[in-house]
Amino acid sequence: MGKLKKLLLLVASLALAALAQENSTKVEDIAFSKVYLGIEGGEIYPFGDLIDATYNTMYGGLNFRYSYWKNVDGVVMFHYAYFKPRPDVVPYDGVHQASGKLGLDWRFPAIHPIVLGGGFACNWTRADLDDDIVKDEIYDEPGGTLGDNETEFGWFARLNVVLWNFEKFRVGFNFMWEEIWTLPKRSDMLYAGIYVERKLW
Amino acid sequence: MKNCFLTLPFLLASGIAVAQVPAEMEGMEYETRADGTFLIGGPTFAFDRVMGAGGVHAESELWTPAKLRDRLLFNRWSGTPSWTPLEPGVWLKTGNELGDLIYQDFITEENRPENRTPILEGGFRSPTYKGLWATARLFQDDHFCSGAYAYRRDMVNGNYTHLGANWAMFSSAYGGLGYTNSLVNASVLAGEEYLWTYTATSRWIPSHYKPRIEARADIKNLSMTVAYEDIEFENLHEKEEGSRKEVNGSVYYKCGKACEKAIFQVAAGLAFRAVDDEGTVYTELEEDRVAWPFMELHVQPVGRLTADVTFGVNERDWLVQDSIQFVAPAPENMGVVVGVKNISGSRLNPLADTKEFYDGREIDLTADGQMNLIQAYASYVDTLGGFVSIGGRGSLWAEHGAETFDVEEIRYREKYDLTTRYGDVDRIEDWIKGVTAELWLNTWYRDMFKFTAMAGFEHIEGPVDNAEVTPAEFYTGFMGDWLLNKTFKISHSIRYRSDAKWNLRSKNPMVVKGDWTWDASFSQMFPKYGISLTGTLMHVLADEVMETVNGGYDRIRFICQAKKTF
Repeated sequence: MGKLKKLLLLVASLALAALAQENSTKVEDIAFSKVYLGIEGGEIYPFGDLIDATYNTMYGGLNFRYSYWKNVDGVVMFHYAYFKPRPDVVPYDGVHQASGKLGLDWRFPAIHPIVLGGGFACNWTRADLDDDIVKDEIYDEPGGTLGDNETEFGWFARLNVVLWNFEKFRVGFNFMWEEIWTLPKRSDMLYAGIYVERKLW
Repeated sequence: MKNCFLTLPFLLASGIAVAQVPAEMEGMEYETRADGTFLIGGPTFAFDRVMGAGGVHAESELWTPAKLRDRLLFNRWSGTPSWTPLEPGVWLKTGNELGDLIYQDFITEENRPENRTPILEGGFRSPTYKGLWATARLFQDDHFCSGAYAYRRDMVNGNYTHLGANWAMFSSAYGGLGYTNSLVNASVLAGEEYLWTYTATSRWIPSHYKPRIEARADIKNLSMTVAYEDIEFENLHEKEEGSRKEVNGSVYYKCGKACEKAIFQVAAGLAFRAVDDEGTVYTELEEDRVAWPFMELHVQPVGRLTADVTFGVNERDWLVQDSIQFVAPAPENMGVVVGVKNISGSRLNPLADTKEFYDGREIDLTADGQMNLIQAYASYVDTLGGFVSIGGRGSLWAEHGAETFDVEEIRYREKYDLTTRYGDVDRIEDWIKGVTAELWLNTWYRDMFKFTAMAGFEHIEGPVDNAEVTPAEFYTGFMGDWLLNKTFKISHSIRYRSDAKWNLRSKNPMVVKGDWTWDASFSQMFPKYGISLTGTLMHVLADEVMETVNGGYDRIRFICQAKKTF
């Protein structure tokens, strides 16, 4: 029932947020009026139990950002990473991960370089199996379920700090907290990266 | 007063609030509803009973003209897998039951959770070119596939799906062409489909449609549908195989615009099936064919009084569904409706197969005699200050001869944790009586905010434990929808249902415990571009339970969809 109380509070706060919104008639025209494409690279740090499961790893990918409301942007991100397992018993070298993220960024009108965002994440994973390994034979071993494609969803929150703005280019840091809804526990990771972004229009 | 007639249907309808959280597949809207007993076995089977409907049957068990284009899966009308072409656009949907291991797999050696399974869909329908359009769609729902998983896996060759290896309850792919203008809307679709159908014996029967072809045409007030299905059956447990070639469809003429103003409105149609079975087929349709002519009458002798009758009859069965409704005089902004509803017939679904075969035994799916359900109801709605409405509905119902199952033997297979039964469809030759009371409150602020709170209670007297399901006694639901800046939509549904019980499918009745459930949906919309991006969380808070004997677990799941309309 504790969860339910939290939920009712969330619902009530969303109701207040709805009432506080400006009823802008031009909002449809803001969407996609500005569009940015960026590249990003950095490191991923597992947290909690996952520290014992995988090593830190590098990631890289593309970001797509577009104007949505007056102070809110939409973001779509695609990042790739290769995770190496820590336990020796895992019968392969690593796991390919493609992560897709969709969310919203809120630009603080007062503190302009800082942008806060959040949204949903979808991670696709597949073990990097040697040719001589049969996935059904390793299924019950540690890491065995990743022999086949596995996809899991979650959420992310991010802090985006703009370092330089130069004509159509922007450079900044992206710190991202990601929680994937796995069992027996949720999987938490921190992304720290740097990006270069170009305004398309 | 005239104004009252116009607003009343809206206000009364708004009381029966269906959450705006999108279902994971069209046809599965019951999974987000609060107002009744909805027990899901899988995407192709659910016990779906709205509390105010009266009687002990599920809605999907009852034939009505509105279901002419639903799929007949065993003896039920199912909205899934839907072959109704979607609106012009391109769309992609994916999701998963939450709780895969991913990297937790490296450090989890004991109590590893069962594999969680996805949902997948992709499709398009082109804009029209001189009236012509094309469409294609691949869609499958792997959720709930834990239902009798090992038994089903060993029953068929290969993965029995278009994609993946989860023995999904349905996996469907079709493509085709259509033609639309101001008079005609027609389409021809062809595809291949894998389906698991839940039967009277509580088994899942696999059917491989190869191909399925469906043609539809709506010409002014005439609707026609014809489907050809070449269905293959297999059962590796018994080394059996068989096939059914089936033609089914309907012709339906509904009242035109001119006649809608008249006192008498008439609609009529014919639904039909014909089958040709070879080898081992697990059901039988008597004489390999059924034709079902039916007629609908709507009479409005005076403005406040309406009477509706739907009846059908053939050489085996008859079914009458009728209602009389009176809009009582009431003050402005208030509406009061009283009515009487009746369903009588020799069979709830006269188009369904008549026998099932299992283990060399024969299960009769028809029962002698008839059922009679009568219900009297009153509902009211009152609007206060233009932003709140309150409403309620109460009913008394009594049913005699309700369809049920006379269980001769229950069999449990430990190897597969599978419980099945033998017997015949039968009737409860006694009166079951019920009283229902439902209340709701709606409030809204322009188009930005809508909130509904609802609660219902039902007390049933009589031998309801002889029915398949003892429905829940109580429900409550709270739905909220927010539209921020006209482009971001948040929809919630939080609801509670009290215990429900399957009485006849296991040695001891299977109680489906009452629980809270929360669904939430978030949509970014770009109306100028016809784009929407939606993420939906379903079945949060609730325990992950099996809601039907041999059914799949109802788990927390997340579904996302991207759609661009043309």
